[in-house]
Amino acid sequence: MSAPPMPAVQVAGLRKSFRAAGAAIEAVSGIDLTVTAGEIFGLLGPNGAGKTTTLRILTTLLPADAGSAVIAGADVFRAPAQVRRRIGYVGQLGGADKEATGNENLLLAGRLYGLSAVDARRRCAELSAVFDLEGLAARSVRTYSGGQRRRLEVALGIMHRPQVLFLDEPTTGLDPQNRANLWEQLRLLRDDGTTVFLTTHYLDEADQLCDRVAIVDHGRVIALGRPDELKQRYSADTIAVTAEASPAVLDAVARELAGDPAVLSLAVEQGTIRVTATDATRAMAAVFGALSSREVPTRAASLARPSLDDVFLRETGRSLRDAGSRPANADGGVAEVAA
Amino acid sequence: MTGVAVQFGLFFRRKLLETLRQPVWIITGLTTPVLYLALFAPLLRSLAGGPAFPPGHVLDVFVPGILVLIAFGAGMGAGWPVIWELDSGVIERLRVTPASRLALLLGTAARDIVMFVVPGMVVIAVGAVFGYHVHWGGLALLFLLLALLTAACSASSSALGLKLRQIGSLAAVVTGAQLPLTLLAGILLPLSLGPAWLRVLGHLNPMYYAVQAARSLAAGSVATGTVGVGFLVTGAVAALAIWWGTRAYQGAMA
Repeated sequence: MSAPPMPAVQVAGLRKSFRAAGAAIEAVSGIDLTVTAGEIFGLLGPNGAGKTTTLRILTTLLPADAGSAVIAGADVFRAPAQVRRRIGYVGQLGGADKEATGNENLLLAGRLYGLSAVDARRRCAELSAVFDLEGLAARSVRTYSGGQRRRLEVALGIMHRPQVLFLDEPTTGLDPQNRANLWEQLRLLRDDGTTVFLTTHYLDEADQLCDRVAIVDHGRVIALGRPDELKQRYSADTIAVTAEASPAVLDAVARELAGDPAVLSLAVEQGTIRVTATDATRAMAAVFGALSSREVPTRAASLARPSLDDVFLRETGRSLRDAGSRPANADGGVAEVAA
Repeated sequence: MTGVAVQFGLFFRRKLLETLRQPVWIITGLTTPVLYLALFAPLLRSLAGGPAFPPGHVLDVFVPGILVLIAFGAGMGAGWPVIWELDSGVIERLRVTPASRLALLLGTAARDIVMFVVPGMVVIAVGAVFGYHVHWGGLALLFLLLALLTAACSASSSALGLKLRQIGSLAAVVTGAQLPLTLLAGILLPLSLGPAWLRVLGHLNPMYYAVQAARSLAAGSVATGTVGVGFLVTGAVAALAIWWGTRAYQGAMA
């Protein structure tokens, strides 16, 4: 794979401290990352990991203490006005004007980015159709459901067809259906060539939605790569097969499996063979093959794939689930989706 | 890129729609000044003609004061929606757009000027019925002067909202400032009624000069030093407040 000439986001040595109660707290402690144009890139980490601070620096809302950041060719610190023209932003708070109608919100956003009145209306109609907002366009945003409002807010972020769209915890507070819907919209945007940069504390969101993920903790990137690649690098698949056979037979099976290159480690206890493997499907086939060649009946089999939480656990000694317990959503009322 | 003037128009329209959606504010915005005329003016009537009270019909003294009060109130209301917009992320979203921060600030100030001019005209019309002498040339300049005052108050209130970020803090600062600013400007009761130290304090209040100029203009004396000083001080305060408010909208990153 050859690298495209200009990365969508290039960050090096980014640092930011805040002063709280007299002491300086470093929220971002030297982040380096490169996002390729046209990918969905996720910053995954618990609350307080520095995700939002990083995003706020990249979207020109906060100055950094040190480091460099270039977005779509424009320097965030030297040319913030240029950056603002090239990016879209959907913040945690959303930012739709609740008293105004959906249309008024969209048209104003379009005009502020320099669209003519005619172009803004055309784009507004186009996005209302894409985001299924047509029936709501003339209604005050106050009357929208959580999912409808989020769709409008994403539409607001892309009125001007930005090269890079930033989203801060975009699915927090959404029910599973709206969440799946938003994922689909973000994939379509990516397929259209928009680079999507989001933060999340949901493991499945990073795993299933993002093309590449940077796992962050205490203001540092602790792992970066494609989700499947990360999981394999840090943790292996495990399978467990329980068979009706004497310990001697199982030991013989184990000796046979030990020669298989996919098998990393192997243990036999109380009639169950446990195998960790780089490729669970292949190892599973090998176990069944060895058992059936001895005509041993199988009673139970299970397979566990590693999650990004295993990556986080290996690097930090903590589980991301525990580290990332989140306070109730400020908007309330909408079911929180557990990671 | 859309020009600053176009953006100003867009933000002005947005704020005007925000007001039109709240008919309650429009109604109280119109009734309060008329109530002042109806309920407060009779009290002053017995003072008029006494020592230290400026000569002329009681409404000639009182109407410019009410106009200043309307201008002050119309401008000082700007900070509250700013805090709602901070809480709902609207301002954060606007800060990520290339929109001019000056246009954003002035759009609100222009709406507030409308919210001063319309009730102000009602006060003039009602006041004229009850004996206020209208001097047209002075009146036009008076509205211009008080439009500047409204802009100064609006920009300050927006800046305060952006800096304080909390309704409670903003309310404390605005109501805390309101009494000394309005009393020491001689808005409702002329400072000439008070002792010397009060008059000295009044001279430290920039709004005092606007009120003095407003009284002069309402009486039809246009080419006076008082009017010149009033425009100078109010214009300078407005410029300073607009600079401050624009900086506040820029936030940490210009």
